[in-house]
Amino acid sequence: MTEFLAAAIRIATPLLLAALGGILSERAGVFAVGLEGMMLAGAFAATIGAWAGGSAAAGIGLALAGGAVIGLAVAVVAVRWRADNMVTGLAANILALGLTSYLLRVAAGGGGRPASIHLPLLGPWPIPVLADLPVVGKLLFAQPPLTYLALLGCVAFTLFLGRTQAGLALCATGENPEAAFAAGADPLRVRMLAVIACGAVAGLGGAVLSLQQVGTFTDGMTGGRGYLALASLIVGRWTPFGAAAACLVFGAAEAFELRLQTFGVPVSSYIVQMAPYLIALAVLAVLGRSARLPAAIGRPLEQ
Amino acid sequence: MSGPVSSLPAGGVARAPLRLRLATDRLAVRILLAVALSMLGAALLIALSGHGPLTAFAAMAVGAAGSAHQIGAALNRTTPYLLAGSGVALCFRAGIINIGAEGQIAVGGIGAVAVALATPAGMPPLLAILAALLGGALAGAAWAAVATAIHIGRHVHEVLATLLLNFVAVLLVQQALAGPLGQFGAGFLQSPLLPRAIWLPRLPLIEAHPGFLIALAVAAALSFVLWRTRFGFALRVAGASRPAAAYAGFSLARLTWGVMLLAGALAGLAGGIEVLGVQRRLIEGFSLGFGFKAVTVALLGALEPLAVVPAALFVGLLEAGALSMQRQIGVPSALVAVIEGLTMMFVLAATVRRA
Amino acid sequence: MPDATVASPLLEMRGIVRSFGAVRANDGIDLDVQAGRILGLLGENGSGKSTLMKVLFGMLPPDAGSIVFRGRPLAGHRPAAAMAAGIAMIHQHFMLIDAMTVVDNVMLGWPEAGRVLRRAAMAARVREASRRFGLDLDPDAPVASLPLGRRQRVEILKAILRDAQLLILDEPTSNLAPSEVAGLLAILRRLRAEGRGIVFITHKMPEVLEVCDEVVVLRAGRVAGRTPVAGASPQQLAEMMVGRSVAAAPAPAAQAPGAVRLSVQGLTAPGLSGVTFALCGGEILGVAGVDGNGQIELAETLAGLRRARGGRITLDGRDITHASAAARVAAGLAYMPADRAHTALVRSMSVAENLMLRDSARPPYARGALLSPAGRRGRARTLMGEYDIRAAGPDTPAGRLSGGNQQKIVVARELDRRPAVLVAHQATWGLDPGATRFVLDRMLALRDGGAAVLYISSELEEVLAIGDRIAVLADGGFAGVVARAAADLPQIGLWMAGRAA
Repeated sequence: MTEFLAAAIRIATPLLLAALGGILSERAGVFAVGLEGMMLAGAFAATIGAWAGGSAAAGIGLALAGGAVIGLAVAVVAVRWRADNMVTGLAANILALGLTSYLLRVAAGGGGRPASIHLPLLGPWPIPVLADLPVVGKLLFAQPPLTYLALLGCVAFTLFLGRTQAGLALCATGENPEAAFAAGADPLRVRMLAVIACGAVAGLGGAVLSLQQVGTFTDGMTGGRGYLALASLIVGRWTPFGAAAACLVFGAAEAFELRLQTFGVPVSSYIVQMAPYLIALAVLAVLGRSARLPAAIGRPLEQ
Repeated sequence: MSGPVSSLPAGGVARAPLRLRLATDRLAVRILLAVALSMLGAALLIALSGHGPLTAFAAMAVGAAGSAHQIGAALNRTTPYLLAGSGVALCFRAGIINIGAEGQIAVGGIGAVAVALATPAGMPPLLAILAALLGGALAGAAWAAVATAIHIGRHVHEVLATLLLNFVAVLLVQQALAGPLGQFGAGFLQSPLLPRAIWLPRLPLIEAHPGFLIALAVAAALSFVLWRTRFGFALRVAGASRPAAAYAGFSLARLTWGVMLLAGALAGLAGGIEVLGVQRRLIEGFSLGFGFKAVTVALLGALEPLAVVPAALFVGLLEAGALSMQRQIGVPSALVAVIEGLTMMFVLAATVRRA
Repeated sequence: MPDATVASPLLEMRGIVRSFGAVRANDGIDLDVQAGRILGLLGENGSGKSTLMKVLFGMLPPDAGSIVFRGRPLAGHRPAAAMAAGIAMIHQHFMLIDAMTVVDNVMLGWPEAGRVLRRAAMAARVREASRRFGLDLDPDAPVASLPLGRRQRVEILKAILRDAQLLILDEPTSNLAPSEVAGLLAILRRLRAEGRGIVFITHKMPEVLEVCDEVVVLRAGRVAGRTPVAGASPQQLAEMMVGRSVAAAPAPAAQAPGAVRLSVQGLTAPGLSGVTFALCGGEILGVAGVDGNGQIELAETLAGLRRARGGRITLDGRDITHASAAARVAAGLAYMPADRAHTALVRSMSVAENLMLRDSARPPYARGALLSPAGRRGRARTLMGEYDIRAAGPDTPAGRLSGGNQQKIVVARELDRRPAVLVAHQATWGLDPGATRFVLDRMLALRDGGAAVLYISSELEEVLAIGDRIAVLADGGFAGVVARAAADLPQIGLWMAGRAA
């Protein structure tokens, strides 16, 4: 059971970081369809950073930057140039997929073969005393660093959105940018910064995959996790802890699938793999109209 | 909801139906500029890899259209983009952001192969092919219907409904191949090779299958639908303004169903043609990326079905040429995806209607 | 209050110019406001009042001109800077975040709330100020739950707490019932007594005379006159506003009305609480009332764009309660929506396509499912001639036309069908006098041809001028119906206050 929960947390961690980024973007009024590309860019940049810089810290730093670059692209096209949010996000995802695959091969000196990079995995940092607690100790206090970061992020983002002037301005921009402007905020700036920050945080989510779980970068290694993160932040009603809960559910579904495989239960793994997507659809369908989106989401800013 | 149509010209302007006016259309100029910019970006990336951009582009051009055989391959590559892309263009016109082409193509492949494998051996080949393609189209439409039902019935945003179902569809292909449609002991997830009689025939000279011609006819028909029928008018009104469509007496639900089923059927047909004409069996992941690129192509074609033809050709030729570029001079073929992504970003930025 | 501001004006605006395309919305305007005085800024729709105030508040950059506030120049500023300088603006459409609470709205963009919000302290200040000015606001109430009059007080509260020395109120009474107006004017007097300057933008004469100290009248982007209120007469102000002498000329009365064409019985829907009336051929029923009392709900439910929850609608004896919008058009119901930009017209589409918007199933526009471009253009040319729609050609996008010509497209489309009943909502809103006259004349001609017209407008004077009978919509129902000859203004005012008070 502990192992099952541990697996669920492991799978949920990259989703959660991406979802946290997405919350910033969507609460500011920009659909976060580009999470997949931001994660992918982050995973790639983390790999290159850790490989070239020789330390995980360099990887994490570059992951922030890599995700932010995709965020910047989305911000310029969708916010500054007022193009459709959703389609811009998709375009960013295609761009990130192409760019990371291409650069991975360029890093190998050109040609069709990708660079083969193998990194030591970021291991757990057990917190003294707490890590020795039964069950919870292992689950919550003996995790690798980026998992702690995701949990801290939940707390920090909740405080930021609810308790700070900047968070208030961000939410106001997503609800009614004209009113936010009249109250003295700068909606264009707020949205641009929110989307760029979204990229950086989602980039960390990608870094979890490459630095903490796989130890290398492979083409399209996010495999749709950005879209699941998007679903989880909607299911979690645009709140950090809500999104965390949704990510854990998706993580548990996937962990369950892994268990079934190990125990040779005669259920097709493909059907079980569909679970996260079907759960997301089912929850969205049940929420239906009551899923109250930020009122001005997807609406371009007036001049 | 403001679809991309609100950011792209709705195009009710003095446009002669069934006639392209690319040369005089400022929109076309802006799109071409966007393509040029993304090629410039690609050139920079090629230079980064230590090769000459011009040499690389030349290798790509030769690889795409250097011989009849290569032209044929490029046209085959273009076909699914054109079919799915013109259907997506119609959806976007109506303000319905259908990005489910990928899943619809995948399920269309399942439908076509299921019918093909079930066809009695004595059936006339033409009939068998038509039955299989019809199976593909119906399966694609059915998959679009699932998304539409969730969207209309439960008010889930169509982007999320179609997107999440794409992942399910790809797994559905794997499940079908692991089960009823699979070939045992192949080592890969694939179906048995289809009977030769059911393969799409080759056109003379260029060795392409006739799918491209079907796709061309479909694009022309869709353009006619868009500009010369009441359904097309309703789509354009709905895309420009939802309240105006309701005021005009058009039922948004019915329009959505109509255009989604149409686009789903076309994507399914694309899947069927791909399976019968190129792969000749169902393979895991055969639809990978087609759906998103259908969106690229639709935008690049300014949501005008006839303009989607050159847009699909652009992407088809790029992809057909890229592998040969990689083989010839060693520039990674992944460059194509960069060009596609850049093009889409630039086209989006270039076609926003500024108030 | 500082004595220095008494001598020199609180605000000096000089030579403000601002254009939108070819239109000069502000064409060299000078404006002074003194501390402790209420200045009425009067003018018709489109005379440049709102533009001038948006320039002052930093929401629009001016093309030319200077602003001096409390002795310091303001230029290239944004709302944040205007607020920091001590200017507050209360917009006609309230600039509040509906999903947030009163205190969150107050804290938004307010440096004193702190970078890390001090919510409890701020809530206490909201309570204190609310008590002092009698605003009756709960800091923790979500704005969405407040009635419009209360929301306006949130805006005023924001201005008070930020210690604004100049308050700009843009059409502050347009969303209020008469009883709420009295409360607002009392608050304004209290603010004046504290030495603050106030700009009160309106086009309603009585309010100006009641509360303002002086009046500046704008017309076509220029100052048409300025005068102290003491001694000014409504007639004189009205003439300054429109530049000609106005006697609200009532439209020629109807002949004896014919048979009942539209009958509405106990119509209920969200926002409508049982509307009953009968409308005869050859008459216009004018529907007055404060905006937001069920106007859009009534219009759209009649047109088939919203579902009726209960009651019955019959048109020439046919029950159309549950008919689709298209079926109602076929049955003879025409509708001119208030929202010209997104409902009545598709601005990106051509004049010809807009003319066929609601008739695309019929010849000459279509045969079966196929459209006829030639038929469409031919018909468009005819209608453009008959209805004097000025456009380069039938293929010109409707959005390129002036407001008046856009509305003529709607008139042509809806009236040329020879409807039995026309529902018109804010049909002359924002139009110049010529276009207004055109629209009203066409409606009168329709009436005289035997059709019935339901004319819904928040401009009471216009309703009184055109309606053969006057109804007042309050809180989703008709508070009263009266023949024009018997109309009594105080009574109508009471009805407008109605159950909403």
